[in-house]
Amino acid sequence: MSEPIVVIRGVEKWFGGLRALGPVDVDLKPGERLGLIGPNGSGKTTLINCLSGLFVPDKGTIVYDGRDITREPAFRRARMGIARSFQIPRPFTGMTVLENLLVPMDYLGSHERSELERADEVLASVGLAARRDAPAESLSQLELRKLELARALVTEPKVLVADEAMAGLSENEIDDVLALLMRLNDTGVAIIMIEHIMHAVMRFSQRMICLETGRIIAMGTPQDVAQDRQVQKVYFGERAGA
Amino acid sequence: MEFLDLITNALVSGVALGSIYALLALGLSITFGVLHIPNVAHPALMIAGAYAVVFANARGLDPIVAALLLTVPFYALGIVFYEFYARAFEKRGRGNTLQSLTLFFGVSLVIEIALVVAFGTDLRSVEVPYVGRSLEFGIVLLPYRFLVPALLAPVVILALWLYMTRTYSGLALRAVAHDDRALSISGVNPVSIKRHAFGIATALAVLAGAALVITGPVDPFAGRVQIGRVFAIVVLAGLGSIPGTLVAAILIGIAEALVTAFLSPSWAPGVAFAILLGTLAIRPSGLFGAR
Repeated sequence: MSEPIVVIRGVEKWFGGLRALGPVDVDLKPGERLGLIGPNGSGKTTLINCLSGLFVPDKGTIVYDGRDITREPAFRRARMGIARSFQIPRPFTGMTVLENLLVPMDYLGSHERSELERADEVLASVGLAARRDAPAESLSQLELRKLELARALVTEPKVLVADEAMAGLSENEIDDVLALLMRLNDTGVAIIMIEHIMHAVMRFSQRMICLETGRIIAMGTPQDVAQDRQVQKVYFGERAGA
Repeated sequence: MEFLDLITNALVSGVALGSIYALLALGLSITFGVLHIPNVAHPALMIAGAYAVVFANARGLDPIVAALLLTVPFYALGIVFYEFYARAFEKRGRGNTLQSLTLFFGVSLVIEIALVVAFGTDLRSVEVPYVGRSLEFGIVLLPYRFLVPALLAPVVILALWLYMTRTYSGLALRAVAHDDRALSISGVNPVSIKRHAFGIATALAVLAGAALVITGPVDPFAGRVQIGRVFAIVVLAGLGSIPGTLVAAILIGIAEALVTAFLSPSWAPGVAFAILLGTLAIRPSGLFGAR
């Protein structure tokens, strides 16, 4: 077994007197597909914000690729290879799709291929090549999700967090995004998927974690987690007479 | 015939005036338009720039050449200024833009007082061979002291527009206003982008100062009459729109020249706001504003 690429230990995040997260321990192996589920407000996005650097945890440590990154700012983590997409797509408006990908190019370090080639390659990989020069505001919901992923991919991540990348999409569109994430995973990128669409996250994940009120209540294969009594209780409530 | 003379000359001088106004407003269209920082000290910085140009001119340098050289120290000054602002306000969290107005008013006053202490309250001007002469063709008469800065403005605006649309760091500068969290997730440090933007805006202030002092003499308080006008131009343009800044400024310049020619010069300063209010009633996001 290879060493984990992300090691989260005892991480806690408090908002005022409320503990939104933790303490949690999570390991992620290189190239792994990890599903993160839990009801609204269970701390999924808080955990991801701690990993991507938008929040600094109040307790605990986060190690990435052997380096303690607990206090590193988000932009430096992005350069190291931790990328994420946002739950609500946040394109840079007033720019084209291509320009959205070119924004960070001066800051991502040198590369043998040109910036334009890299951006075009990413657009092709998410199926947005035809919309290259369209204004970001003109994209459909599915295209916005793809742009959100494309913007994450242009940093050439080793870990990608897809935060509800499929919310609000049709079944066909969900298959489209799932296939895209699978192809990406084939290239060796570890993916953490936060998702409410249970069949999608179960199909995708090798391993799943369920959070509830900021703590991990179940961890294991998708089948194990789905059949876990506590998980079922959280999702469906106590069955009368059960 | 006299009416035609008057209106043609008012239009020509209005365009020239507007072009100069655009240069005065350009730095603010970055700090206020793009970064949403209400930098009311911009006109005072501009006057500081004008004094620096006067100082260099007294030592034999052409004011425009002097201003171009001075953009470097002014860029550095802008970075220091932003660091000061960010430490006082931004790092404590969001939503402090209104309180920061007091800081910028304070900076404005400090600049004015420093200029008074260093140079006194007398009017200062630059000496250039073309001041006092005019371009004449047909019925149009345009003094070179307006024409030269009016030609400088579009060049500077074009350069800034190319930077903002054709370079990666220019794109990042535009992106920081939309969403600095999304920007940091992309691997860009939003603070360093804002610092750089403030540096550019302050460097533009010295070019604006040169333009202003070529058109006429300045005193330490000459920035005050510009505060309302430059904010009106930036809002009228549509926040952050560089071509919009030029169009809005020329509109206001023409309107002011017409009002001066046909009504009274004392109405002119109010014209910018009349146009602003009228436009915002129809287009709340300004002439070139997004949505």
